[in-house]
Amino acid sequence: MDPEEKTGIIGWGAYIPIYRLPLTEMVRIWGFASETPKTLNVIEKSVAGRDEDAVTMGWEAARNALLRAGINPKDIGAVWFGTESKPYAVKPSATIIAEALGITPSTMATDLEFACRAAGEAIRISIGAVASGLIKYSLVIGSDTAQANPGDILEFTASSAATALIIGPANEAAAVFEASYTYVTDTPDFWRRDHSPYPLHGEAFTGAPAYFHHIENAVKGLLEKTGFSINDFDYAIFHQPNGTFPLRVAKKLGIPKEKVLPGLVTPYIGNSYNSSALIGLAKVLDQAKPGQRILLAPFGSGAGSDAFSIVVTDKIEEKKDKAPKVDDYLKRKKVIDYGLYSKFRRLIKRI
Amino acid sequence: MRFSIPRFWREKPGHYFLRGTRCKACGRINYPPSKICRYCGSRDTEEVDLLEPGRVVTWTVIYSAPEGFEEYKPIIIAMVELINSKARILTQLTDIDPSEIKEGMIVEPVLRRINEDGETGIIHYAIKFRPVIGGISDKQE
Repeated sequence: MDPEEKTGIIGWGAYIPIYRLPLTEMVRIWGFASETPKTLNVIEKSVAGRDEDAVTMGWEAARNALLRAGINPKDIGAVWFGTESKPYAVKPSATIIAEALGITPSTMATDLEFACRAAGEAIRISIGAVASGLIKYSLVIGSDTAQANPGDILEFTASSAATALIIGPANEAAAVFEASYTYVTDTPDFWRRDHSPYPLHGEAFTGAPAYFHHIENAVKGLLEKTGFSINDFDYAIFHQPNGTFPLRVAKKLGIPKEKVLPGLVTPYIGNSYNSSALIGLAKVLDQAKPGQRILLAPFGSGAGSDAFSIVVTDKIEEKKDKAPKVDDYLKRKKVIDYGLYSKFRRLIKRI
Repeated sequence: MRFSIPRFWREKPGHYFLRGTRCKACGRINYPPSKICRYCGSRDTEEVDLLEPGRVVTWTVIYSAPEGFEEYKPIIIAMVELINSKARILTQLTDIDPSEIKEGMIVEPVLRRINEDGETGIIHYAIKFRPVIGGISDKQE
């Protein structure tokens, strides 16, 4: 039995801040072509409020995952927090969330960074730790208040949201892992140096050599490992930097868009980085039926992609309504303008 | 350092869990916690966490905030009666404009920043309340 088959998702939870900034605001303020939002296939992006950050959003997503898991928080043996916007450069975010959820002190806890896919790697680490018997449950959180240089094209999509998964033994799981595969290379597509407030991107590198190359190879690696064909999957969820890339990579892999659209959240909230693919998974788990097979492929710049094969079990039905769903958070929204967004995301320098 | 680090470290149970005490003699909740019941004087009390939804009883709005809180204005302070324990607590409301608050509205606890010690100091997190999402908390009534 492979390590993956001993493990599964015991609980899942998402969080989206209430505020939405229409992409037409970036067009208005920075002088972009009016069709830019349409070419990105994104209408609005979610914006964390003034009293929110990656920790507070991660706390709520993890609380929702705990509600669905129905386990004692003290039984969690690891909290792995994937983010590229942690509130402290030095002082772990994972311990704040672990403490505020009653998980401390007998647990591992650390922050992981790999652009948008640190939480993807945290899932694979969890599979190893749970399957080996080192821990019973792990809490994986992907949470970001994504930064973007004001006026940069990235500002159209850089958004805020969080998703959490509790990973544990397969016999308790709402969805079990079947296989996983990771593909990484050294690629200069997107980076942020120490002390720089905003990331930069190597224009020509972000598409073909980064996003598409790594996701395609991760998925192909998974298919070779398992012997599955792409037709064996009912849903496909990819990293969602905008509303078009996931549909394009699906087309390249021969996956119909009908299998991608149920988990495509970016058109309504933008790219929430470490939560981007995982919130798509949360939305699919909110609606999936027992026996359905899910392909999950997060991507992070720098660059790498993980591919997971996940099968839904009959335990999913009893868990779905135990916490707010992604759709509940999508429906709850307040539209703001660029001024309030600037205050919330600290773009205004005060002395 | 404008804010006391030891004080916030000491107050973590209140900030993260709304920890109070329940009097085993009269059954009432003391919040903030007290080892001697404020209602009946009994010393037979136990700690209890109060992370549960509640209803807004009354509220006030602070437009002139103290140093360190300016960017969070307007700050809404509400008295919330918790639905299960019936404890009444003073808390901040978030994700809501003052004009949208209604007496009796159901709110639920969430972890948020309450202030931060400048650009380089400690960030303080604590429970605030916001309008309930998804109807989950209604079922707990």
